[in-house]
Amino acid sequence: MALLKVRKSKINIPKEAQLMCDKMLKDLERSKRPVLTAVKCSLDNSLYNSRVGYLTPGDKRVKTELNVSSVQKLARTVFMLEVLLNNIDTGAVNTKRELYYMAKGLVKSEKELKPLDFEEQTESDAVIDYICDVLEVYREELNCFANDRGGQTYSKELIVTETLSDGTKATVELGSLGTSPFQPKNKPQALQLKAKKKIDFCLVVESEGTANTLVANGFTKRNKCIVMGAQGVPSNAVRGWCKTIQDQLKVPIYFFGDLDAYTLQNIYRTLKAGSAASLIRNSDFSAPQVRFLGVLPEDVKKYDLLCYDVTTKDASDARSLKKAKDALENDPFFKDKKNKKLASILHWLIKNKVRCEQQSLFSVNPKDPLTTEKIILEKIKRGSYV
Amino acid sequence: MSSKITTSSTAEYFAKNLQQVGFSSPLKAVLTTLKEAVDNSLDACEDEGIAPEITVQIKKVGKGSSKSADLIVVTVEDNGPGLDETLLPKVFGEYLASSKFGRGQCSRGQQGIGISAATTWAQLTNAQGVKVISKTKKMRKAIEAIIDVNIKGNKGVIKNRKSVDWDKPHGLKAEFRIDGRVQLNGDGGILTYLEGTTLVNPHLTLNYKLLDHDWVNIGRVSEFVPQVPKPTLPHPHTMKLGEFMTHAHLFGKLTLKKFLTTGFSRISDATIKDFTKKGLKRAYLSQPLVKFNETDFKEVFRVIQDTDLANPTTRSVLVVGEESLSKSIQRLGDIDFFSVMTRKPKICDFKPVVVEVAIARFLNKSQDAESQGVQLLRFANRVPLQFDKASCAITKAVESVTWRSYGLAQSKNSLPQGPYVIAVSVTSPFIKFKNASKETIDASEELVEEIRRALMQAGQKLGRHIRRENKAADLERKIAYIAKFGPILVDGLARIAKAPKTRRNKAEEGLNKILGKDSKEAENELKQAEDRLTAQKAKQKEKFGDLSIDKDPAVQESKPAVKATTKKAVSKKTTSKVVKKASKKVVKKVAKKTAKKKATKKKVVKKKIAKKKTTKKVKKTILRKKK
Repeated sequence: MALLKVRKSKINIPKEAQLMCDKMLKDLERSKRPVLTAVKCSLDNSLYNSRVGYLTPGDKRVKTELNVSSVQKLARTVFMLEVLLNNIDTGAVNTKRELYYMAKGLVKSEKELKPLDFEEQTESDAVIDYICDVLEVYREELNCFANDRGGQTYSKELIVTETLSDGTKATVELGSLGTSPFQPKNKPQALQLKAKKKIDFCLVVESEGTANTLVANGFTKRNKCIVMGAQGVPSNAVRGWCKTIQDQLKVPIYFFGDLDAYTLQNIYRTLKAGSAASLIRNSDFSAPQVRFLGVLPEDVKKYDLLCYDVTTKDASDARSLKKAKDALENDPFFKDKKNKKLASILHWLIKNKVRCEQQSLFSVNPKDPLTTEKIILEKIKRGSYV
Repeated sequence: MSSKITTSSTAEYFAKNLQQVGFSSPLKAVLTTLKEAVDNSLDACEDEGIAPEITVQIKKVGKGSSKSADLIVVTVEDNGPGLDETLLPKVFGEYLASSKFGRGQCSRGQQGIGISAATTWAQLTNAQGVKVISKTKKMRKAIEAIIDVNIKGNKGVIKNRKSVDWDKPHGLKAEFRIDGRVQLNGDGGILTYLEGTTLVNPHLTLNYKLLDHDWVNIGRVSEFVPQVPKPTLPHPHTMKLGEFMTHAHLFGKLTLKKFLTTGFSRISDATIKDFTKKGLKRAYLSQPLVKFNETDFKEVFRVIQDTDLANPTTRSVLVVGEESLSKSIQRLGDIDFFSVMTRKPKICDFKPVVVEVAIARFLNKSQDAESQGVQLLRFANRVPLQFDKASCAITKAVESVTWRSYGLAQSKNSLPQGPYVIAVSVTSPFIKFKNASKETIDASEELVEEIRRALMQAGQKLGRHIRRENKAADLERKIAYIAKFGPILVDGLARIAKAPKTRRNKAEEGLNKILGKDSKEAENELKQAEDRLTAQKAKQKEKFGDLSIDKDPAVQESKPAVKATTKKAVSKKTTSKVVKKASKKVVKKVAKKTAKKKATKKKVVKKKIAKKKTTKKVKKTILRKKK
């Protein structure tokens, strides 16, 4: 059964895996230590080029040479690779949690495998991620899917067509769903999008609750737009979905979230340029054209928004300040000239030691439920975004 | 108004404030009574150079007079010099009657409060003071009496005096019947106190029976009775103006110069010159002290304080010593290794201090002990401190050390964890306690740093043991890994690569070769760690003799190596000594020989000259005769 593809990749995973294992075996036959090489997925190996638009891997590679300390890791890698290859062969799909239990089941049935037993799911997850890094493939390409959260989408104009694994097509008109959202699950890149009428913009809201409120108050009725809830740090599904909207509909996408270092670096940057942990997949899981609509420092002043003090006494606040400083010093995204304005927001946060939540817009005119909508539209109209 | 103001005696004050000197609860009352009696016994024995043998018995004989307290009998018997009849009421019944007050000695007792307070507690809770039997060398029969405290007059009173037969040549037995409760274990426990006391007093033989438990005998491990160094003269920088003036009045008609040079330490004629350079009037120096008024004293005092002086001498501090501590620590229980550290005496806060540390790991401790805090034993002038741990300088120093680097588990800024005992002893003639009951040492920065350094040095020694253990565990784990994961890895690779069995078998052979190399490397690392440890042990052995208590088989195996290295080291040393001695002898012999040769040559020459002279003379006389 052919599965939908995330990208047009020429990698033949079973063949690559077989070659890799064959090489390792040959090395062993010659009493040579086999070595597995993987891309180093960390900020210090991340490159950012505004023309490319997302974080790409540098030259650094992590080599795992077989020795007494790494023999367990390599044995587990080969064991899990076999499970995944079997899935690819049969077309079976599993979540990481299911794979964890499958591994436990195999260990239970074969006594010789007992030393490989995973005590926690984090151990098997790490092995799966390592396989992806070594083969430079997406987890989804190994038929392993996460139960991705977020991405609840509302629109009166959007039509989504999904080609199912049996070749049939399912079409969803989001306008017909009422107040229920459409939620793209795995491989959103494989969905086909169409607009009934021209869509003006897509609004990604950090808080799913606020996205819900906007829709309930008629935001999508009054505007030709798409509203999406990110639900915190965007999952693969949300990231892939944004990328699909950007590429297929070619509409401006605005991100609306809190004014703090966490939102800027962990949420907005991940959505726009990907993350250091997923360097090999950022090309298909980032939407470089997303703009930061706010909350901006100028909004705080203009609308006299309520802010929280960030003090060094509070552990989480101190972490947040440190994060902002680290981002300015080490994050290639914020160091890039093109993102000067975003970096200046971080400077402002460090200087003023405050944070402002997106919901603070509701304090501007509490008697008018449409105030937030009005401010958002006004900001888009005025070009008040970064 | 003035008619309402009354004067109270010292005894009255303490009788009303016994909580200030360690009698704040029934639990503490028993411990403090025992502590004061044992301290007095040890001090008395050491003063006379007697190896102390102390017998302690604590019995519960009924219900106490107050609610929630039992009637406890605390008996402490020693083989000390005993006390004369005249001294008994002074020692047991009079506050601030002490032979050591303000003398600046490292004795346990200082002010003469503790034992009188115990008598008062007995009197207040059981209407009877302390029952004493005392015998000195000179006495044929011992004196048995009850000593009460005359609280109004701060005097001891002898009651029911009897002469009794006592089979001891000399000694003292004190029996207190008090209200109290007995806690054996834990920080404030009687057993903890007794263990601590035996640790820092290696020359003590202790017999004890607590409640219904059997008699326990802990023999001494050292025959050497430490002599408390004589007190040194006060250092002028440790005095306040008032003290300085009082001290001056003791010297009456002496001149200021004589007073300064004879009444203080670290003041010499050269220092007097420095004083004059700093502005001391020369006229003052020859002026008798009686002619000085307050302003004069103030001026002299100011000049002295402004002048740099040498630090106080460290000769007045007493150490237990690494050797004695090493022997003594083995009396705490089954331990598999230990490390001891005695720092050189140092000046902290302008007072001489010596810090000693002993760390040991217990064997056969429950698994819970791994996650529990270590047992911390604190000592001040060889007296265990058992309360108010948190604010003590010793606790603060222990918490400030990063024990993780020595292999012990530790949460940030807290005591390390594991089945260890860390004993820290601070000895000084002037320990700064936080309270009158001497439960906590004031945590000054300098003292905490000095204790911290001692702990770190002891920790480094301990770390070598733990690292060796870790390396051994690492090797074991690595060898186990080869057997565990090797075949699985090769099987998996062969299946995915669709390789035949021959390739699989060849690959397994190759894998075993590779991993065998790794385990050899681990073995080498272990050997290096063991070598370092054995070198340390050899040093220890050279220093203290054979104190090895290592029950770890790995260490026992390495024992021959220890012997070998020590033998080598010893033989090296001895050969070098022999060579040196021999060469000295040879030089001497050569020198003697040459001297002899020279002498004989001289003699020969003299003889020859004499012969020549005589032959000449003889010739002359013959010629004369011929003529």
